[in-house]
Formats: sequence, C-alpha cells, structure tokens
Amino acid sequence: MTSQKSYSLPSFMNSDSSLPWLLPLITMLIVFAIIPFFYNIYLSFHEFVPAKRALLFVGWDNWIRLFTDGVFWGSLKVSLYYTFMCLVIQLVLGMGIALLIDSDDPGFGIIRSLLTLTLVIPPAIAGMIFLIMEDANYGLIPWLLKSIGLIGPEDTILADPTLALWGVMIVDIWQWTPFMVLILVAGLRSLPSEPFESAVIDGARPFQVFRRLTLPMLHKVIAVAVLIRGIDLWRMVDYVFVLTSGGPGTATYTLSLYSWQRFTFVQWGYGATISLFSLIVILIVGNAFIHFAKVKW
Amino acid sequence: MIRKISSYIILLIFIFPIFFLISSSFKNNKDLFALPPKLFFFDIDFSAYERVFGFSNFFKFDPSYSELFLTSRIIDSLIIGLGSSSLTLIIGIYAGYYISRVNFKFKRYLIISILSARMMPLISIAIPIYFVYEKINLLDTYIGIIFVHTFINLPLAVLLLKSFFDEVPKQIDENAYIDGASKIEILHKLVVPCAKSGIAVTFILSLIFSWTEFICALMIGQMKVKTIPVQASILKTIPSWDMMAAFTTISIIPLFILILMVKKHFVRGLTLGTVKE
Repeated sequence: MTSQKSYSLPSFMNSDSSLPWLLPLITMLIVFAIIPFFYNIYLSFHEFVPAKRALLFVGWDNWIRLFTDGVFWGSLKVSLYYTFMCLVIQLVLGMGIALLIDSDDPGFGIIRSLLTLTLVIPPAIAGMIFLIMEDANYGLIPWLLKSIGLIGPEDTILADPTLALWGVMIVDIWQWTPFMVLILVAGLRSLPSEPFESAVIDGARPFQVFRRLTLPMLHKVIAVAVLIRGIDLWRMVDYVFVLTSGGPGTATYTLSLYSWQRFTFVQWGYGATISLFSLIVILIVGNAFIHFAKVKW
Repeated sequence: MIRKISSYIILLIFIFPIFFLISSSFKNNKDLFALPPKLFFFDIDFSAYERVFGFSNFFKFDPSYSELFLTSRIIDSLIIGLGSSSLTLIIGIYAGYYISRVNFKFKRYLIISILSARMMPLISIAIPIYFVYEKINLLDTYIGIIFVHTFINLPLAVLLLKSFFDEVPKQIDENAYIDGASKIEILHKLVVPCAKSGIAVTFILSLIFSWTEFICALMIGQMKVKTIPVQASILKTIPSWDMMAAFTTISIIPLFILILMVKKHFVRGLTLGTVKE
C-alpha cells in the first residue's frame, strides 16, 4: 500500500463535485480576466489629475474623448488595416506554400520542421532583426529595394508615413505565414485521398479540384487558423513597439500601442478606455466568428 | 523537381532573417554594417559573446559598466518560464481532465470563457493588473509575472490537454472505477502516464510562449526583473547591435531545440488542440 500513500491528497479532491477540479482554473479566470475587465470599466470613468495627484471620477469624459480623438480613430484604422491585410496575405501565401509542400517526399518533411523555427522567436526580437534589416543607412532591405529601383536613393522605410506600416507588416508576414502553412498542411494531409483520385479520373482541372473539393473540406481548419491568427493580429503590440514606437507621427499606432502609450503618459483612465474598447471589439467579433463558423472545441 | 527547388527557395527566404541574426553575432563592427552584406566570408569574432557573458570586464571590475546583467536576464526568463509553465501544467491537468471526462451543466460556458480569455488584448490585462500588483507589492517580482504568464497560457494548456485526454480511452477510467479507484487516482496513475507526450508538449509550448511574451513582462517587470524580449528591446540602438545579436542568439537556440523536439504536435498546440497532424 505504499503507492497508495504517495497519492494521499486532501479528501475533498476525491469528491464528485466539480469545484475542486476546476477551482484553480476558475480562480485564475476571475483574478486575471473578470477583475481586470471591471477594473478597466472603473478606470474608464476616472482619470489621474496631476494637479491633485489623485485618480478622480470624471464621468463619461474618457468615452467622449475617445470618440472625438483623431489619433484614436487613426489607430483603430491602423489596427483594422493591419489585421485584415496581414490575415489575407498570410492566408493566401500560406495556402499556396501549403499546397506546394504537401507531399510525402522526405525532403518536404525537413521543410515542414524548419518552418516552425520562425514561430518560436520572441516577436520583440523578430522586430529587432528587421529593425536592423530595414535601417535607413545600413539596412539590407532598403539597399535591395534601392538597387532594383523600387524606392529612391533618399527614401526610408520606417520613417516614411506610408511605408512604415508595411515595414511592420512585413515582419508579421515573415514570422506568421509559416503558422498558416503548418496548420493548412496538417489539414491537407488529413484529407482522404479517394475523392481527389476520382476527381482526377473524371478529368477535373486542378483549380476545380481546389475550389470544389479542397476548400470545402478544409473549411474547419481554415476557420480555426483565421480565428487564432486574427486574435493575435488584433492585439499585436511587440512589432510596432520595437520598430516604430507608433511613428512617424502617429502613422503606426495600433489600439494596443496607443493604449500603452497613454498609460505611460499617466493618462491611466484614457489608456484603460482604449484597451477596454479593443477588448470589447475582439470579444464580440471573436465569439460571433466561433458561433457562425461553427468552430468546435 | 521544380516543386522541390521552389519549396527550398521559399524555406531559405523564411530562414534567412534567422541566419542573418546568428551570423551577425559573430561579426566585427566593420562587417556588421557592410553593404552588400557579408553573409559567409567574414572574420569570426567572439567579442560580442564575451561581452554578453561579462568576460571582457570580468577582471577589471567596474560596476558602472557591468555587462553581467545580460546573463542574469536569461536566468530571469528561465525562472519565469519554468515557474509559469509548471503552474500552468498543474492547473491545466486537473481542469483539462475534468472537462474531458465529465458533462457538467456550464461546460459550454466554461469553454467560451476560456476562449474569451485567449482573446483578451494583453494590454487590457496589463493595465489593471499593474494597479492591483502595485497595491499588493507584486510589481517587479518573479511571482507576479509568473501568475500573469500562467493566465496567458492557461487557455492553451486546458484545451490542449483536454484534447490529449480525449484520446485516452474512457474504458480505462471505467474499469478502474469499477475496481474501486477514485477519480484522482485514475488521473494520476492511469491517465497521466497515457498522455505523457501530450503533457510534455503542453509544458514546452507554455514555456515557449512565456519566453516570448513581451508587453506584460515589460509593464510588470521594472528594474530587477526583465525577461529576454524586454532586455532585447532596450538594446535596440545601433552601437549595441552585435551584443543584442549574441544575446538573442543564445536565448533562442534552446527554443529551436525544444520546438524540433515537439514538432509533431506543434500544429495541434497552435490551434488549441483542434487540428491534429
């Protein structure tokens, strides 16, 4: 009976009640999700007043300011543009590469394992790599673009209001396209081969096969990939923080970065209001997506 | 053949920035910023590594210019990563097993809440937690960041472990239950050994995501506790680029080894257990 002894846990764990099993999880959810949510609501009706050195009740001021703040609308636009463009580019590129490397040949197995490497680099460090590669004087990418004549000799990427956001997006696309590739390849490889064989016998063209067979059979996998990538794109802050810190001007503020920046400027209430807005948007959109795309866990 | 060649070219494009980082860490200051870049033929120079590990001024002890702090940042990241992924695993195993085996009333709502927790922008957690931690003196401590990272990784861990426990046949549980074992004994002695590889994968993925997390570590760690991404973002000025390259190379090589160990289950982890390879 020695083995029995080594597992002597408090007797309440043996009960059939769900509470002890889920208690730690639910505690964590309450402490780090529910409490911050309500604390954010509380903060959004308060603001730090430097003259009195205190957090004071200001009513709806933060919300009124939010909807009349041009920088906020700009950052909302950047967040939406960034999320949508990266998602589409990563999905299309990812699908293309996935179709290319979906093969039993052992050479492609190596490609699949090496593609995982970009995904484990801390995003802040990925940003640093591209910060140097996009540097105006020493950078590899501006040098390449200049030598093929795509940008003028005096142009920069990260200091240019129109190019800066793409300078950030290229990092995201580099780092996370493999994410799409790996998920889609896993989906492709789990598909049964019979429908494809009979389609080829029936003389279907490759594009027809893709459109009529592959896409519908993959819809669940695509939905999961889009959901998870969409969430992470929406809350992305590391790349802009490292690469541009929101600049030049306010051209690359995302909602998260703008919220963080207001927080560091001791506008705690306003920063919390922005982050609360971003949180509510993603909760509604994310849960609606799960509902309508019928993603199951 | 064309297919294979184009696949390898694509792979090279994706690997190139990593190669660029690692090769930069071995270059001297002249080659570092040479254009066109010196990719293969440069003088190998270990001085950046010497400075990261603090060898260069180890003997002429000068506190104002001590670079020993970079090694202590790696230790910070290790403590936080191992601490939070262990805690995540302990919470996740019990919750994941219960969700996998028992049909309870609010199960659907619990899963929705877990997924909603995964959706939260980290900044909307970090701001309130900053004020809460300030009141209970958890700012700038290991335990404070460990708890936040545990929360960030819990959705992944619970749903992934649930999917691994789902694969352990329920017959095992039922037979043991008839033999008089309690639920907790069944989990510890039967189910956990069966799902060993799944548990290892969950641990490694939690470790990686804690290692790479930036904004919460930035806000909660202040002076004493800084994780690797936070420290790297401070080194972003050009003069310290070789040091930053050496420092980050050291910090991401272990992740490469870990991820190649679990590559079979990596996709499953990324999709929170829904897509199996």
